[in-house]
Amino acid sequence: MIASIARKEFVDAWRDGRFRLGAVLMALLFATASLLAWGQTERTRAERAAAAALERENWLEQGEKNSHSAGHYGVNVFKPVAPLSLFDRGIEPFVGTTLFLEAHRQNQAAFVPAQDATAMRRFGELTAAAGLQLLAPLLIVLLAFGAVAGERERGTLRQVLSLGVTGRSLALGKTLGLGLALATLLAPLGILGVFVLANSEVEASYGLWARAGGLALAYGLYLAAVLLGSVTVSALAPNGRSALAILLSLWAAACVIAPRLANDVVHEKLPTPLLAEFEKELSTDLQQGLDGHDPRTKQMEDFTQATLTKHGVARVEDLPFNFYGLAMLESERLASEVFDHHFGKLWDRIEEQDRAVALGGVAAPLLALRSASMALAGTDFTHHRHFAVAAEAHRREFVRVLNEDLMNNARPGDHGYVAGRALWEQLPEFKLAPLSAERALERAKLGLAILAAWVVATLVALVAASGRLRVDVA
Amino acid sequence: MKTLAYEIQLLLRDRAAWVLTALFAFVLVYALNQGVELAERQRESAKTVLDASRTFDGQVREALARQAIDPRQLARQPLSAVLPPAPLPLLAVGQADLTPAFEAVSLWRLQTPTDARVEIENPSRLLAGRFDLAFVLVWLFPLFLLALAYDLLAGDRESGVLRMVLSRGVSPRKWLAIRALARGAPILALALAATWMSASWGGVAADTSNARLLYACGVVAAYGVFWLAIAALVNGLARSAAAAATAVGAVWVTVVLVVPTLLNVVVESLHPMPSRAELVASAREASGDAERRGNEVLNSFYRDHPELAPPGMQVDFAQRILAVQDEIRGSMDPVRLEFDSQLAAQQELVELWRFASPAIAAHEALTDLAGTGYWRHRAFRDQVEGFKQSVYDFYSPRIHKNRPLTKSDVAELPRFEFAEEPVERWTSRVTLSIAGMLALALLAALLAGSRLSARKLAASSS
Repeated sequence: MIASIARKEFVDAWRDGRFRLGAVLMALLFATASLLAWGQTERTRAERAAAAALERENWLEQGEKNSHSAGHYGVNVFKPVAPLSLFDRGIEPFVGTTLFLEAHRQNQAAFVPAQDATAMRRFGELTAAAGLQLLAPLLIVLLAFGAVAGERERGTLRQVLSLGVTGRSLALGKTLGLGLALATLLAPLGILGVFVLANSEVEASYGLWARAGGLALAYGLYLAAVLLGSVTVSALAPNGRSALAILLSLWAAACVIAPRLANDVVHEKLPTPLLAEFEKELSTDLQQGLDGHDPRTKQMEDFTQATLTKHGVARVEDLPFNFYGLAMLESERLASEVFDHHFGKLWDRIEEQDRAVALGGVAAPLLALRSASMALAGTDFTHHRHFAVAAEAHRREFVRVLNEDLMNNARPGDHGYVAGRALWEQLPEFKLAPLSAERALERAKLGLAILAAWVVATLVALVAASGRLRVDVA
Repeated sequence: MKTLAYEIQLLLRDRAAWVLTALFAFVLVYALNQGVELAERQRESAKTVLDASRTFDGQVREALARQAIDPRQLARQPLSAVLPPAPLPLLAVGQADLTPAFEAVSLWRLQTPTDARVEIENPSRLLAGRFDLAFVLVWLFPLFLLALAYDLLAGDRESGVLRMVLSRGVSPRKWLAIRALARGAPILALALAATWMSASWGGVAADTSNARLLYACGVVAAYGVFWLAIAALVNGLARSAAAAATAVGAVWVTVVLVVPTLLNVVVESLHPMPSRAELVASAREASGDAERRGNEVLNSFYRDHPELAPPGMQVDFAQRILAVQDEIRGSMDPVRLEFDSQLAAQQELVELWRFASPAIAAHEALTDLAGTGYWRHRAFRDQVEGFKQSVYDFYSPRIHKNRPLTKSDVAELPRFEFAEEPVERWTSRVTLSIAGMLALALLAALLAGSRLSARKLAASSS
C-alpha cells in the first residue's frame, strides 16, 4: 500500500508545474553557484601560491643582516584555501588571510576579504550550501504543504480513508514519494559534486571523501527532517492554506531570524573581550608576567644571574656564546606562555560561542546544519584556529633558529655580525598540514546528532499525527 | 469610506492580525535595543582615540611654543585618523562591524599596506549579520506586511464572496486599494515609528538633522508600498488564497534572498578584487628592492628634487628612508589604487542594478542614511589618503632640509578632521532609490488594476 501511494505521490510531484519550475531554478542556481565558486577558489589558490612564492623570494633575497634583524624583517604566510570551500565558504570571507610572523609578537591574521567588498555581501553568498540550507526547504514546503491537508480540503481524504487505507500508511507513503521526487532532483547535483571533487587535487590527509560523506549525511538528515515536519503539519492543519501559512512562518523563523538571533543571544551570554581590553591585558602580562608578581625585567635579571652562575663567570661578555641571543630565546619563551594563555582564552571563547549557536539547532535545525557543514567543509573557526596555531608554531621555530644563530655565531660584543642566505635557506617554507577529517567530524558531531534527533522527532510526530488522522479538523 | 471602516473593523476583530502586529512591534524594539550596544561601543572607542589624539596635538603645540623640535623625533609618533560615529547608527549596522573607523598614520610606514584593526568579533556572527533595524525593515517588514495582506481578494474569490460584493457595484480596484492600505497600515505605521525613533533610542543621541530621518521614513514607506502593490498584483492573478500565499512567498524569496545574492556574485565576478596577499608580498619586494638600491635611489631622488637636497648632501638615515619610500610609492600606487577602483566599480554596478530588487535599493539607502554604508567609508578612506599625503608633505621638506620645527610650523601641523559628505550627494542617491521603488510599486499597481476590471473578475470568479 505504502509503495503505491509513494508512486502516485512521486508522479504527482513531477507533474506539478510549480515543482518542476522550482527544480529547474534550483538546479540552475546550484550550477551557477558551484561554477563561480570553483573559479573563485582556483583563482584565490593561485594568487596565494604566487604570493607565497614571492614572499619566499623576498625572504631569501633580503641580503646580509644581523639574524635578529631578519627576525624583525619577518615573513608573511597565507592561509590555504579549503578544497570544499567551493561548496560552503563558511567564515572564510570574514577572517584574515595573511599572517605576519615576526620576532617578539604573535599577530592576528589580517586582511579580511569582506572588508574589500560592498555591503551587498550582507545579503549572504550564493553557494551550493546556501541553496540547500535555505531554498531547498522552501521547495519541500511547496511540495508537501498540501500532501494531507489538500486531500482533506478537496474531500478526497474521506474517500481514501474509506478504502481502508490507514492514515499512517497514507502519510508515510506520501513522505516516501515526495522524498524520492526530491532525491531525483538532488541526485544529479550530487553526482556533479562527486565528479568535481574527484578531479580536484587535494592532500590525502584532508580526508576529502570522509568529509564529503559527512556533508551528504548532514544535508540528508536536514532535508529529511524538513520533509517529515512539513507532512506532519499538513496532516494536522485543517486546510492547505493554513498548512502553508504555518510552514512558511516556521521557515522564516528558523532560516531568516534564528541565525542572527542565536548569534546575538550567545554573544550576550558569552561575550568576547573588547579589542582594547584584550590588548591591554596582553601587554600588561607581557611586562608583568602571567602571575603578575614577577615583572619581566626581574625575570630576565634572574635569568642572567643564573646563566652567569652556571658558567662560573662574572660578566656576560665572558660567556662562551653571545648572551643576547640566549636572552632573546628566553624572552621569546616567556612571551610564548603569555600569548598561548591569551589567544587560547580568546579562541576557546569563540569556539564556545559557536558550540552554543549549534546547540540552538535544537530549536532551529539550520543552526545545527550550518555548524556541521562548515566543520566538514573546513571553513569553520576550528579550522581557522588550526591555521593560526600552525603559523604561530612556525613563527616560534623561525625566531628560535635566528636567535640561536645569533647566540652561537656572533662573538660576544660584536655588533657588526651579519648572517646571509645560507641561514635564510635553513628556514623552511610554511606548509599547513590540513586538519584531519577525524577532527572535523569531531567538530561536526554535535550538529549531526541534533539533526538526527530532529529526524527521529519529526518521524515520531508524523506517525503520531497520522495515526489519529481526522477527516475534518476544525 | 464605508469600505474602509468595514475593513478596519474586520482587522480589529482578527486575532491573527493583533498577534502579528504585536510580534512586529516586539521585533522592532528588540532590533533597536540590539543596536544600542554596538553604537555605544563605537562611540566610546572613537572618543578614546580622538581624545588621545587631541591631547597629543595639544602637547606638541605647547612644546613647539617653547622650543624647536627635530621633525624626525616628532614623526615617530603616529597620528590618528578617526571616523566619527555614524549619524544614525541604530538604523543600520551596515559595514560598521567590518570596516575600520580608525587608522594610525605614521610617516615611516606610509607605504606599508596596513591592516586597520577592527573590534574582536566572532566571524560566525559577522557571517550571520546583525539583528539590526535595517534587517527587520528589509527582511521581516515585507513578511509581516504580506502575512496580513497576501489574501486581499483571492480568498473572497475562492469563497464566492467576491461575486456578492461586485454585485453591489463596488469598484474592485478601489476596494482592493483600500483593503491593501487598511491591512498594511498598522505594520507600516510601526515601521515608520521605529525608523523615526532610531535617532534617539536608548540614549544614543544621533548627531544629525531630521533630514536623514525624513528620508529614512521615505525609504521605508516606499518599500512598504512596493510590497503592498505586489500583494495587490498577486491577488489580481491568483485563484485561491493558497496560490496567493505561494506567489507572494516566491516573490519575497526572489527579491530578498535570490536576486541580491545573484547580483553580489555577478558584481564580484565582473570586477574581482586584486589579491591582498600579492599586494603584501609585492610591497615587500618593492621595499627590499628600493632599500638595496638605497644610495642610487637617494641620488636620483635629489636629482629630481634638487630643492630638497640637504646642505652639503650630508645624508642621514631618515632622509634615506624618505627617498626609499618615495620610490616604493611610485611602484606600489597603481596596485593599491586598483583595490579602490575595483570596489568603486562594484559599487557602481550595485547602484545601477539596485532596482532589480527593491530590497537592495532599500538596504543601500538605509545604510547610506545611517552612515554605515559604502559611501561614508569611501569618503573616510579617501580623506585618510589625503591626510597621509599632507603628513608626507609636511615632514618631507623639513627632514630633507634638516630644518627643525618651530613655533611658526604650528599652524601647518597636519591634523585629521573628517568632513561629512555634502548633503546633496546622499539626498540625490536616496531620492533616486525612493523614486525607483515607487515606480516599481506603481507598475505593479497598474498591472494589478488592469487585471481587476469588474467584468473580468465576474467572469473568472465563477
